[in-house]
Formats: sequence, C-alpha cells, structure tokens
Amino acid sequence: MKLGVFMSDFRSGSDIIERLSAEKLGIIFVGNGVYHATVEENGKASPVLDKSATFYVLTEDLESRGFGSADVDSRVKPVTYSDVVDLIFNDYEKIIWI
Amino acid sequence: MGKLTIGCFSSLVGSVSLDFAVKLSDAAVKKGHKVDLWVSGNATMLSKKGQKAFKDYSHLAKTLTELFATGNFQATACEACAEARGYHKDDTMEGWKRHSMDWYLASCFGADRVLHIGGD
Repeated sequence: MKLGVFMSDFRSGSDIIERLSAEKLGIIFVGNGVYHATVEENGKASPVLDKSATFYVLTEDLESRGFGSADVDSRVKPVTYSDVVDLIFNDYEKIIWI
Repeated sequence: MGKLTIGCFSSLVGSVSLDFAVKLSDAAVKKGHKVDLWVSGNATMLSKKGQKAFKDYSHLAKTLTELFATGNFQATACEACAEARGYHKDDTMEGWKRHSMDWYLASCFGADRVLHIGGD
C-alpha cells in the first residue's frame, strides 16, 4: 500500500510512525509536526527522519512558526497546499492523520 | 479529477486541524477536485453563522462561502453535536447541511480519498 501520513504534533505520534510499514510511505509534517523537520535536540535531528520514507513539510505551517526553507533538514521537501493535493491524489492511496 | 472527503472531529474554530481542513479543501477545489467536509463535536461551531473576522485570528467563514459558490464543495455538520451544544438549524451559516453521521459514511464510501482528522 502507498500510505501518506500527516504528522501534526511534535511530542506525540513518533511511536506510531515507528510501527508503520508500507510499500511506499510518505510523511507530511503539518502544524506542530513541522518541528520534526527543523529542530535538533542534543545535536540530533528528529528520529522520525530516520524512517525509510519520503518526507514533506507544509511551507505555510513552517513560516507561521518562524522557519524558512533554509531551516529544513535536507531530507525534507517543503510543499504548498496545492502540492499536498497532488500528493493525496497521485502518490498515496491511503492517507491518515496522527 | 477526484473526490476528497475530510472528516474533522472535535476541533474548535481557531484550531490548527480545522484550519488545515478548510485550506486543504480550498486547494483541492481550486485544482478541480470535489470535496466533502464533515465536522462533528466542537468542530460543528465552524458552521455557525455570524462569525466575525479579527486581525491575527483564524477566519474561515469567507473561504467557506467562496467554496460553496463553486458547486464542488459540500460541508455538513453533525446535527446531534450541534444541538447538544445549544445551537440550532436557524443559526447555521448558509450553505451548510446538518445530518447524522450516516452522511459522512456515505461520503467516505463514494470518495477517492478520505482524510479523517481526529480531535485535538
């Protein structure tokens, strides 16, 4: 299955991500989930980024929290709402929100 | 073009997930897709008429009005959730429907993609 996951929080949901497996996995950081794409703790990026997946971050939610594309981990691609619509319809068969 | 059904549960006006649901709806409709939006729990307050716009505060009513005008967007509020919160049909914003959750289930079965956003 091609699964797209909206990750909307920073302090919860990582355990769910750990247990998920899919033929193709996409993780889209939205809301406070954008901190996974931008923040390092104790010099380390979010462990979520170690998952075998394609990562995206919603630009609008990034900018509303004071971040820019330059702050984003190189494994994560910034996307717009329009891009997210294309991901939903073209790249992932099922989508979930955590 | 496809149909996207979004269910948004227990999110008040001003919450991140309700903002996300409406903005995603707007982007999908602008790309030619059809969108059904279901709100239940506290999210039913999104369907209340008379919402005022304040600076630096989420205001989705204008976007919803524009979405309804396209004919490619439907939004329905859980009738029981609204009534339980003391607001009634005559206080509902134009364009909104009120139904039981059967409406959401039927929409999900007819959709190409479903996004179910839980409470926050």
